[in-house]
Amino acid sequence: MKLWQNIFLSSLLLMILAINIVSAAVLSSSHKMLLEREQTHAVNEYEFFSASFSNAVIYERLRADEVILSEEQVAEIASELFFGREKGANRAAVLSADDRKLVAGSGFDQIMELSEFGDYLDSYSPDPDTCQIRIFPVGNAHMMTVTSSMTVEGNDYIVITALDVSDIYAMRDRQRDFVRKVSIISAGIVSLILLITVIILLRPLSRLNIYTKAIAGGNYKIRIRKKGSIEFRELSGNMNIMADSIQRNAARLEKIAEDRQTFIANLAHEMKTPLTSILGFGDLLRIKKNVTDDERMEYAGVIVEETKRLRSLSGKLMELVALGGTETEMKPVALREIFRDLETAFSPQLSKNGLTLYTSCEEITVNADEELLKSLLSNLIENAVKASSEGKRIALNARHSDEGRCLISVTDEGIGMSQEAIEKVFQPFYMVDKSRSRKAGGAGLGLALCEKIASVHGAELSVTSEIGKGTTVSLLMKEADKQ
Amino acid sequence: MISILIIEDDVNIAKMIKATLSIVGYSGTCRYDGRSGAEEAMKGSYDLILLDIMLPEMNGFEVMESIKSCGTPVIFLTAMQDVADKVKGLRLGAEDYIVKPFEALELLARIDVVLRRSEKTRDTITYGDLTADIGRHIITLKGQPVQLTPKEFDVIVYFLQHQDIAVTRERLLSAVWGYEFEGESRTVDIHVQQVRRKLGLKDKLITIPKLGYRLESQDSV
Repeated sequence: MKLWQNIFLSSLLLMILAINIVSAAVLSSSHKMLLEREQTHAVNEYEFFSASFSNAVIYERLRADEVILSEEQVAEIASELFFGREKGANRAAVLSADDRKLVAGSGFDQIMELSEFGDYLDSYSPDPDTCQIRIFPVGNAHMMTVTSSMTVEGNDYIVITALDVSDIYAMRDRQRDFVRKVSIISAGIVSLILLITVIILLRPLSRLNIYTKAIAGGNYKIRIRKKGSIEFRELSGNMNIMADSIQRNAARLEKIAEDRQTFIANLAHEMKTPLTSILGFGDLLRIKKNVTDDERMEYAGVIVEETKRLRSLSGKLMELVALGGTETEMKPVALREIFRDLETAFSPQLSKNGLTLYTSCEEITVNADEELLKSLLSNLIENAVKASSEGKRIALNARHSDEGRCLISVTDEGIGMSQEAIEKVFQPFYMVDKSRSRKAGGAGLGLALCEKIASVHGAELSVTSEIGKGTTVSLLMKEADKQ
Repeated sequence: MISILIIEDDVNIAKMIKATLSIVGYSGTCRYDGRSGAEEAMKGSYDLILLDIMLPEMNGFEVMESIKSCGTPVIFLTAMQDVADKVKGLRLGAEDYIVKPFEALELLARIDVVLRRSEKTRDTITYGDLTADIGRHIITLKGQPVQLTPKEFDVIVYFLQHQDIAVTRERLLSAVWGYEFEGESRTVDIHVQQVRRKLGLKDKLITIPKLGYRLESQDSV
């Protein structure tokens, strides 16, 4: 069941119930009040009747000049008393107290026939001092009876008068019907108003529903206007926050997928270049009829060279992949030792290219994976070598920096690069000077690899460069805690 | 002699293309960046330009734009498989494109098609007593016309155009019957035998075991 249906039905029922309870209470109290007024009226009537009855008896005894009247005479007097009021609205009856037989009565036939009344009479014990008041339903009417007893001429009589109180009951019924109708109508109206209010109040909910569906459907750009009650504003706000974060995450994932796509496209391209030479020369060796020794040497030489390039590419790729997966072993490493190793490793290459490497190192220990750190610095030095022409210098420095970190830098006096190039330099397969780099056997993965190693160590890699002047690549990393 | 300009930044690939061209007697000139390539294309008179797309200085598309005026046909060399790039190259007026890596004969076949389109290839090929008129689809042996089926004609023309080159059955199949032909290499063998018999090329059109066939040139005896 929908919320608005729920609210409508329950409020309707509640209203009807409330109105009925209240009106029933009011009606019954007013009914009781009217009955009390009628009781006084009935008692007055009774007293008037009983007084006129006893007066008539005394008058008759005095007139007949007797000491005492017989039962028959009393009955006659009673009958005469009723004679005049036969058509009257008020009813009365005189009964013998001994056998509860009707001595005389008027308009009491219907009441006498009631079994309830019979029971009542049977259980009645004569008491001349009090009046008993009862109401009996007779057909459609209601009779209020006043019962008491009196002693007339030595005999006990029960005297009952009845007053028609049907009007009061009819009025009560009429009022009850009226109230019932009013309650249903007013409850209906109130519920309808409530329903409209609820629907208006809930309208933002259906709006939210539409937006939620839209977001779920992939439209992450959509934002909900803050409208309606405070609760809805809050909900809209939170939904917007959710949409924001979904959009951010989706964009991030898209970026990752895009980067991966670019990486693969670049990788394919980088593989195709050596493959073209290999396939081409291989094919030539196969289909050419006469291949001179020089040609064979040349063709095979290129094939070997290009295959080596592919090998180096796959090696770098493997390193890159392995870095993401394997656990690195971090332990305290003295930078001075690493620098010494690097100097030894690079000296043949440096002298071949006519370059000089200057190193300076303060007493620094870092927490690092020695092999990875060496690989990182080797890559940086290799890049410096590639960028430098003969006779230039390369500097490898390490010094303490602030906040317990140290700064390791590789500086060259090479060709340098533009600001535009610096921004792209960490992208896989990016090469500042393609043909130059290719000649030196580069695949464009070196700095991407360096950055990954740096991030494994929680270090930052940054580049400053000026065209024609040279490049400095700096690595800012945490020093090991001194024990 | 047909001369072809190769604009390709990878030295080894340029060298390989040049060597491939030399086996069919075309001369190749290499340029390794876009700018000098474009200058060379405007200066010299070349029958065809082989143009790489990713070049330093100027990329292939830019080179294409700048050399439009000289009217030399261009074949793109591309490492990308992106259709948009191919379409862009062709729209700029390139005759064809070749996706790297490629086989030597595929390159030659594409070059032949383009050269023929620009009527740069010889219309008649003479091979000893044999004369093939490609335009008129007639082949004569010692002045006498020889009856060949169209496919047999295509086969002998392909061999005449690729003398001294070992031609695989697959290559011949795709060159004569087309790439979509799902035939067997047996078809190739039957046609080659027919050609051999009809034209008396038993000693010249030799079988190379496990590879294919080769038509020995007249001068190499």
